[in-house]
Amino acid sequence: MNGKSFFVDLTKCTACRGCQVACKQWKKLPAEETVNTGTHQNPPDLSYNTIRLVRFKEEVVDKKIRWNFFPEQCRHCVDPPCVGYSEVEGSMIHDPDTGAVVYTELTKQENYEDILSSCPYNIPRVDPETGVISKCDMCIDRLRIGLRPACVTSCPTGTMNFGDREEMMDLAEKALATVQKKFPEAELVDPYETRVIYLTAYPAQEYYEYLMADAAQTPRKGLTRKQLFAKLGGAAARMRS
Amino acid sequence: MTVNRRRFLKLSATAAAMTAFGGLGCQHTAPAVDRATMLKPEWTKQTTTICCYCAVGCGLIVNTSLKTKKAVNVEGDPDHPVNEGSLCAKGASIYQLAENERRPEGPLYRAPFSKEFKQVSWKWALEQIAHRVKKSRDETFAVKNDKGQTVNRTEGIASLGSAALDNEECWAFQTMLRSLGLVYIEHQARI
Amino acid sequence: MTNHWTDIKNSDCILIMGSNAAENHPISFKWVTKAQEQGAKLIHVDPRFTRTSAKADMWAGLRSGSDIAVLGGLIKYILDNELYFEEYVQNYTNASFLVNEDYAFDNGVFAGYDPKTRTYDKSSWAFQMEENGVPKQDPTMQDPNCVLQLMKKHYERYSLENASRMSGLSIDELKELYSTYAATGTGDKAGTIMYAMGWTQHTVGVQNIRAMAMVQLLLGNIGVAGGGVNALRGESNVQGSTDHCLLYHILPGYLKTPKSWQDSLAAYDKDYTPVSNDPESANWWSNYPKYSASLIKSMWLNDDPATAYNYLPRLDTGAASEYAWLTLFDKMGKGKFQGLFAWGMNPACSGANAGKNREAMANLDWLVNVNIFPNETGWFWEGPDMNPETIKTEVFFLPCAVSIEKEGSVTNSGRWMQWRYKGPEPKKGTMPDGDIMYELMKEIQHLYEKEGGAYPEPVTRLTWDAIATDGVFDAHKVAKLINGFFTKDTMVKGKTFKKGQQVPSFAYLQDDGSTCSGNWLYCNSYTDKGNMAARRDTTQTPMQANIGLFPNWSWCWPVNRRVLYNRASVDLKGQPYAKNKPVIKWDGTKWVGDVPDGGWKPGTKHAFIMRKHGYGQLFGPGRADGPLPEYYEPLECPVKEHPYSGQLHNPTAIAFAEEQKAVCDPRYPLVCSTYRVTEHWQTGVMTRNIPWLVETEPQVFCEMSRNWPSSRASTTATRLSWTACAAPSGPSPSLPQGSSPSPSTATPSIRSVCLALWLDVAQERRRLRQPADPVRR
Repeated sequence: MNGKSFFVDLTKCTACRGCQVACKQWKKLPAEETVNTGTHQNPPDLSYNTIRLVRFKEEVVDKKIRWNFFPEQCRHCVDPPCVGYSEVEGSMIHDPDTGAVVYTELTKQENYEDILSSCPYNIPRVDPETGVISKCDMCIDRLRIGLRPACVTSCPTGTMNFGDREEMMDLAEKALATVQKKFPEAELVDPYETRVIYLTAYPAQEYYEYLMADAAQTPRKGLTRKQLFAKLGGAAARMRS
Repeated sequence: MTVNRRRFLKLSATAAAMTAFGGLGCQHTAPAVDRATMLKPEWTKQTTTICCYCAVGCGLIVNTSLKTKKAVNVEGDPDHPVNEGSLCAKGASIYQLAENERRPEGPLYRAPFSKEFKQVSWKWALEQIAHRVKKSRDETFAVKNDKGQTVNRTEGIASLGSAALDNEECWAFQTMLRSLGLVYIEHQARI
Repeated sequence: MTNHWTDIKNSDCILIMGSNAAENHPISFKWVTKAQEQGAKLIHVDPRFTRTSAKADMWAGLRSGSDIAVLGGLIKYILDNELYFEEYVQNYTNASFLVNEDYAFDNGVFAGYDPKTRTYDKSSWAFQMEENGVPKQDPTMQDPNCVLQLMKKHYERYSLENASRMSGLSIDELKELYSTYAATGTGDKAGTIMYAMGWTQHTVGVQNIRAMAMVQLLLGNIGVAGGGVNALRGESNVQGSTDHCLLYHILPGYLKTPKSWQDSLAAYDKDYTPVSNDPESANWWSNYPKYSASLIKSMWLNDDPATAYNYLPRLDTGAASEYAWLTLFDKMGKGKFQGLFAWGMNPACSGANAGKNREAMANLDWLVNVNIFPNETGWFWEGPDMNPETIKTEVFFLPCAVSIEKEGSVTNSGRWMQWRYKGPEPKKGTMPDGDIMYELMKEIQHLYEKEGGAYPEPVTRLTWDAIATDGVFDAHKVAKLINGFFTKDTMVKGKTFKKGQQVPSFAYLQDDGSTCSGNWLYCNSYTDKGNMAARRDTTQTPMQANIGLFPNWSWCWPVNRRVLYNRASVDLKGQPYAKNKPVIKWDGTKWVGDVPDGGWKPGTKHAFIMRKHGYGQLFGPGRADGPLPEYYEPLECPVKEHPYSGQLHNPTAIAFAEEQKAVCDPRYPLVCSTYRVTEHWQTGVMTRNIPWLVETEPQVFCEMSRNWPSSRASTTATRLSWTACAAPSGPSPSLPQGSSPSPSTATPSIRSVCLALWLDVAQERRRLRQPADPVRR
């Protein structure tokens, strides 16, 4: 058993944002106060109360519009750097059955900056009032009673898929082969390092700077994200083989 | 692992007991809360419904607390052939439509030339409306038209709505309006 | 929809035009995506690049209002290149019918036009008849007066060049669009159209849809899996509310409202019961008297239908210019009405010319506003430019339960009647709409019984308790009444039915009051076998599973037929044209698959059973604005002329003399289109009050091109930003103390959206030309 994974086919995402709201509904996370900033994307960024966000990005290539949608969430890394950087017992659980990375209330004792900078995808967010750090928990409570994560259940188009890791890897490879016929630049993003495998139609930078781990320029803790992964990539390498 | 699984589950269940049935006012705790408990039959009843927004007609499952009689979870019905569990942003938010503190808690009345509504009882409101309807009907009822043809209609009352009503309510509404003699009857299908 | 949602997956080419399905019917894309996975092409024709366009193989950004130029061009392309499905066109459409020789079309106007009344005398559009009363046909379709030839002549002007000039699409784009879609004109391929308000909200709305229906008939796309003419309806029960006819011109089941000259039920039935002399025409509407009598009986169970017919109000005319929405508000503005019910609707926001509508409401003596939340209609008296101290209107706001708090059914766009159960209790202080209606009408009946009044019989004799059990509104009882039951022991078709038994289907309805049925279309939905709408059985035959047909899930009108006109999906021997996705099939002894359009053997009845002559109408002689769709500009437009004729606007469009229209007006050089986003719904009464949705779309906004000349852009931007700035300091709906949370507990951004809508674009009457470059800013 290699746990669970998501396969996210971005060529099918219509940005209906069912997943973004379904996540809040299941967890009863409160709405944020927002303003329109010239894009549908709102809230503008992930936050303590928004652990899942559909990002919108426009590109014009060869005079044709590409409007790319990216439902962002924690990648539940196979070898999660954040867990490696955790200094508080019980603040983070790397669930052995699913591979879910779950944060608890004890994250309030962590150094948030350290945890954030450990993440190759810029995911964890802190509650400024309590200091508790939050992110997607793979709806581990739902998994235990046989339901899929709320975001996957809500997805109409087959963008969001969830299941055993082998099954998702298989699905991803097959989808890539199909999609490449229409989108030659299509690729799977960090399939071996993460449990949330995105399939893009266009280069990852055309969606969001942190979609792919090595797309980011800023080094954290003196290491680029790629280096971070390389350092922590033992389990990923084992699963690849 | 720094917290063993048993301790994690215990922590989660405690949190669930505090939050799952609290409605909108519950304190959210994003990390590590077991909300799945609220779906168990000993806590909630499960009913199916159809989304109240567009006419795709997606199926939903509503879990209602046996104790508070309030909704605790509303999500897509995976058995429904049209949506197979999926929902858009609107459908996914129906919980907040019901559990919403902006809903007025009783009829409101605005008197002529008044700057405000005041809260009134249902009994008073329905009696008053019935009197207005009767007065307007009696004053504007035309037995004959200009050509002397029998028309039996109420000319001084109009009605707008509604595609938001159930079929049974739509039928009852048209029956009520037409028995009152209304001819100016329109709704969302026209606009 | 002639078809239904899951059927979209069967399509080979999906045209989305006049709709933004991905945003406004998001779950439809579950099935659009499935079709795409199987190789279907997706074409989006829309002025704006939307989330729908983002998923399309082709996006064609036409100029708003130029649809008939594009569709007329498609008809010409199909005819010129003989891409139509000839056997289908010959057997199932009126292409071979001969039209009266008096029929004429000259310079944008059809024969019979009366400029004074702005209406047509349609007599010259009629078909030539044989002596036996059957339409004359030319099977070779060569006669110059036959429909196919008339179409060729009519659409001669609809060249690629003209379509390009009016729509702004390039000739290459049009060719790609036409050739891709017309490729579905073979027996084994199906193309579908998904349209919505982008087509209906025009002065040529009906003809936009007719043009596409004609395309579908030419290509043999009606009645087949993955085809049809599919209106994506916008509200959960706008299909059902239309079936139950909350509209001035129709009664439940699309029966006509009685007119002043129809002084008896017999006279009324005679006017609306079509007669066909063709034994092969099923002419289903010949059953009209059974449906009208059963409807009347269902309302007044203790009277015979001929007597109770007099209880129904009669109209002077069926003309929209007398009773329809726009006229209704015009008359309200002139003080015609004392009272208004605005029930589950927010006309102060939703209707065209919102400012006019709000001013009109100030002329009412009373307004009853039933809704979930406070809204612009109930609160119109504190809206912009309103002085409450001078407004006499009494307003009663009645808060109702939400959908999950009550039981009943809704009918989706695919005509599936689906039962909803009650989950939570209605919020404290609110009531389900059905209970409000029941109690209100009960009170009115009580007043009439006590005091008498104008013609009290329709009110006092109304059998209102038929909708309640122990004084409480009972959705099951109403649903049973809508289906209908026998009012006495009756024998029909050799079967004996006891009084009180449910009528099994509309084929058993009678015209003498021995049956009641609140809506003949729904007869078969709640039978002695139970509540069909509540069924949750996904059992299918392999043939049904192949096309995603779910005959045992919920119930669908009519008689659970999932694909309308499905007899046109097979040849005259009952064998499906599309071997890989048959809808029905004659197996030698019976039909299998979907419920067929009548159980007659193949080839014995014409396929389009609801039409008098039994054929799909390429030529539509009953339409108010012409038998063939013709190009006209919207009433407000940026051009002085168009190449199709000298008639700029639809000569039959409703117009109000005092309302000015901007035609090539330099003060209004831009065309603006209004639209919805996924996260908000209709006027937003519900969604603007939902924090999770307000979070995603917090404000009204306007999109404009970066490429506009800077002076024009800055003027527009200034005016728009003024709107945005003015909004937060504007009025807010007031609530009495204790009736609802104080504003401080509300999410402030919800209020700002609400306020911004007060200052809606319609009132400002800004017109923005569509962007040449659709990139957002």
